[in-house]
Amino acid sequence: MITKDDLLHLALLSKLEVKEDEMDALIADMESIVAFADTIAQASGGVEGDGLPTTLENVFREDEVRPSMDRSLILKNVNGGENGCFVVRTRKQAAR
Amino acid sequence: MSGTILTLARRLQNKEQSAVELTKEYLDAVSRENGALNAYVHLTPDAALAAASAVDKARLRGEDLSPLAGIPMTLKDNLSTDGILTTCCSKILSGYTPVFDATTWALLKARGAVLLGKTNMDEFAMGSSCETSCYGGAKNPHNLERVAGGSSGGVASAVAGGIAAYGLGSDTGGSIRQPAAFCGLTGLKPTYGAVSRYGLIAYASSFDQVGPIAQTAEDAALVFDAISEKDPLDSTSQGRREETFPLLSQPVKGLKVALVKEYFDGLAGSTTESAIQAAAETLRAMGCEVCELSIPEISYSLPVYYILACAEASSNLGRYDGIRYGYRTEEGWESIHEMICKTRSEGFGAEVKRRILLGTYVLSAGYYDAYYKKAQSLRGAIHEAFEKAFCQADVLLCPTVPRTAFPLNFTGVDPVETYLTDICTVSVNIVGLPGLSVPCGSDEEGLPIGMQLIGRSFDEATLLRLAHQYETARGPYKSAERGVRV
Amino acid sequence: MSGYQMVIGLETHIELSTKTKIFCACTTAFGGEPNTHCCPVCIGLPGSMPRLNRAVVEYAVRAGLATGCRINEIAKMDRKNYVYPDLPKAYQISQFDKPLCLGGRILLKNGREIGITRIHIEEDAGKLVHEGGKTYVDYNRGGVPLIEIVSEPDIRSVEEAVEYVEKLRLIMKYIGVSDVKMQEGSLRCDVNISLRRSEADPFGTRAEIKNMNSFAFMEKALRYEYERQAALLDAGHPVVQETRRFNTATGETEPMRGKEDAQDYRYFREPDLVTIRVTKEEQEALRKTLPLLPDERFARYTGELALPESDATLLTQYRAVSDYFDAVVQGLPNPKTAANFIIGQLFGRLATEEDKEAFAIELSPDKLRALCELVAGGKITMTLAKATLEKMLDQNAGPEEILTPEEMAGMDDSQLDAVCRAAVEANPAAVKDLRAGKGKAMGAIMGAVMKATKGRADAGAATAIIRKMIESMPD
Repeated sequence: MITKDDLLHLALLSKLEVKEDEMDALIADMESIVAFADTIAQASGGVEGDGLPTTLENVFREDEVRPSMDRSLILKNVNGGENGCFVVRTRKQAAR
Repeated sequence: MSGTILTLARRLQNKEQSAVELTKEYLDAVSRENGALNAYVHLTPDAALAAASAVDKARLRGEDLSPLAGIPMTLKDNLSTDGILTTCCSKILSGYTPVFDATTWALLKARGAVLLGKTNMDEFAMGSSCETSCYGGAKNPHNLERVAGGSSGGVASAVAGGIAAYGLGSDTGGSIRQPAAFCGLTGLKPTYGAVSRYGLIAYASSFDQVGPIAQTAEDAALVFDAISEKDPLDSTSQGRREETFPLLSQPVKGLKVALVKEYFDGLAGSTTESAIQAAAETLRAMGCEVCELSIPEISYSLPVYYILACAEASSNLGRYDGIRYGYRTEEGWESIHEMICKTRSEGFGAEVKRRILLGTYVLSAGYYDAYYKKAQSLRGAIHEAFEKAFCQADVLLCPTVPRTAFPLNFTGVDPVETYLTDICTVSVNIVGLPGLSVPCGSDEEGLPIGMQLIGRSFDEATLLRLAHQYETARGPYKSAERGVRV
Repeated sequence: MSGYQMVIGLETHIELSTKTKIFCACTTAFGGEPNTHCCPVCIGLPGSMPRLNRAVVEYAVRAGLATGCRINEIAKMDRKNYVYPDLPKAYQISQFDKPLCLGGRILLKNGREIGITRIHIEEDAGKLVHEGGKTYVDYNRGGVPLIEIVSEPDIRSVEEAVEYVEKLRLIMKYIGVSDVKMQEGSLRCDVNISLRRSEADPFGTRAEIKNMNSFAFMEKALRYEYERQAALLDAGHPVVQETRRFNTATGETEPMRGKEDAQDYRYFREPDLVTIRVTKEEQEALRKTLPLLPDERFARYTGELALPESDATLLTQYRAVSDYFDAVVQGLPNPKTAANFIIGQLFGRLATEEDKEAFAIELSPDKLRALCELVAGGKITMTLAKATLEKMLDQNAGPEEILTPEEMAGMDDSQLDAVCRAAVEANPAAVKDLRAGKGKAMGAIMGAVMKATKGRADAGAATAIIRKMIESMPD
């Protein structure tokens, strides 16, 4: 049973906005997906550990400085930013 | 069939055609076919011609060139390409242009590969039909009323449609193998760690691998060898154990091939089952020992996969907030938190949102033990079960998908039903073993059927040589008769 | 303050002084134009992946060994997930349940031990500047390596809290893993404080005050919190478990909005990084790289060298000073003399903390030891020695270059005896006053002794000789 509050809490953690008219369909979807996930509850057995598919250990990088990336490239996807920084307005009117 | 890498390489080496001419031929084919196939989402004709021209010049200078030099190819749109749009077919990455190359792309570029453009995919690689793409789905060249598959549908569509000789896709739960099977192609998901993930835009970090979708096992081997170098930029990368191309003709006699019972559930009497059985017969005739075994743990691999993969995805996709790249909402906002929520809600499609929410759910306080932790421990159990299986067999055999290509707009109606079609592929990602899909037949409507060969860790060589020799025994696989034909 | 007992725990974040960031090869150098120390990894571009800096693990293990922790042979990295503009990946790579170090302690002057629960490594976030209705983000600091040191809630007063942090700072500077400058942000504290009636009572509800970046603010915040919580408890109201920030303008703590609301970090193992294994051999090798620590040196100075605690404290305050002192007192019978010279005179030339840290004293320990040996052997008086030392420091010269050979040879007993007798005979009036009990009259006789010996006479010995002479005079 996923309640509206459960969904809103998950949305808050995931930084997603769920509109009122999306709510019911999304809850239905989530319930069927979660029921599907619940089937592991019946599975017995299990092995201690992270289960990750790699056995590598101690992969390190040496502490040697390499040139950083040019700032113009760092800011390329925000058209250069402002004052060399990424910028967000704290509040903004809709762009209409 | 359309030009394989080796066929085209011979042409270029024998100077029957220049790389520029070949590239132009492919670019023409793209403009003819892509409207119907919707395989490519960003085209790079200028860069392609420039790369081809550089290859021609190098050949004139007498340089020793890789067989991959001058061969027109494509990359799934989740592989970072410096200066070229990389969007994961998501609105939230519209306009995103990476400032570095994915390692696998850099390795191919260094060998003179000619990138025609980036191809279509399910949004953030989440899907099995390519239809969650913000550009609409890619079509199956064998039947335009069917999907090319997902999530590397665009690569498969382009290669089977004769508008790329091969491509690189990514595979998290089957995303290389399933589209390869749907489109009659050979698709390899390498062992986890054999190929660098640096520059692959992450979906689920402990499942993702980059691999080739090609027309033959030979081609797949060539490409795999080129991209499987250990990468210092990826701490989980080990590189391949050995080059596979030189070993393709090694004997396969005596190899133990086991049909895994659980993958045939519900397939009794189907054309898929008969196609796999027929392939098994061919392998027997080639000298392999074919038997059957059971891996009961497979029965919970789907929920284990979805729980763990979605958990990792919910974390990997947290960074898309419109601040450093990509889409930012055009709605107004009262706080940065609101801006971020709006951006993400408008930028992500429905399937991505569902998976983010599920991932957040299984990691959240109160649910972590029952879901994430339990799934992890079952992952370990599945791993042990496969290890045991490989004490009795060298290669496991099963269908790649329990069915042939879906009709258009079929999936997405019931997400869970769609998830169930991943049954044969997800367990391979869970355990990090190599999986290769090879065309082995077609159904009553002529839609391709693929068989999946699963191997031991870092044993791509055995899979590829078995597939290569099977291809010879099987005979040429039918082409979709589109695009560039050779 | 009365009525309640303070129960305080501290979480201290320390920036490690490695050359590069924790997961990429960008420089950790302080300052720099915004976003000029960045790369795809530390701004979290899609497809980028972290690579762990070996030195970060080594520094953290050394920090653990230096604070008495045991090192986890197997450790791992985890993701701490939350969304905030200063965190480009929307998760911080940190350590959750298998940190590098566990279970250490810090010894306070009052003999109490403050337990250290754990030490783990993690990456720092970028910097946000709010101005003119906009938020500007600079990721230069993003990815700088941090160790987080978590104390047990063993601290019972503001003074103890300050001393604990000072001690941590001292140790970290000694072993060279950080310059721990609170003003520059390389040392930050979050404090957890709750109140209870007495040691026998269970812990109360605690409030967390984040990001204390000066000792003064930390003290003020703790004292304010005590009053605030005491007032609530007195009135029968519960203390709310919450995160607060210290308002430097008002001197009060206030609840922090937003960032920490409904936080569920959903920790899980970082799949892009592999297991860290620090074998017993490696731990031993790192232990051997540690210098003798402040507590150990203090014990030796007050024990074996019999110095007063105040001297020992001053000498162990800075590693360079202590190292210098150790070199000077090798084989020296009078370490107290060396201590006096260093504290009394060398410190005079090292006005600030930075000066004492840097200890830019050219004079080699050998030369200072030579001076001390002359004092020990009674060859020169302390007065002469002090004056000589000033010249030695000015000229970076040994005592033999400043003093004359006669001065170096000192005065033997018969010489001193003769000079004293002469002074006594030359000052009958003073002798008479002395015999009458006017102690001040010694000054005139001593003056004559000093004049005759050009200040070389040992005042103490001379005084004794003169008194004996006067006492043995016939009435």
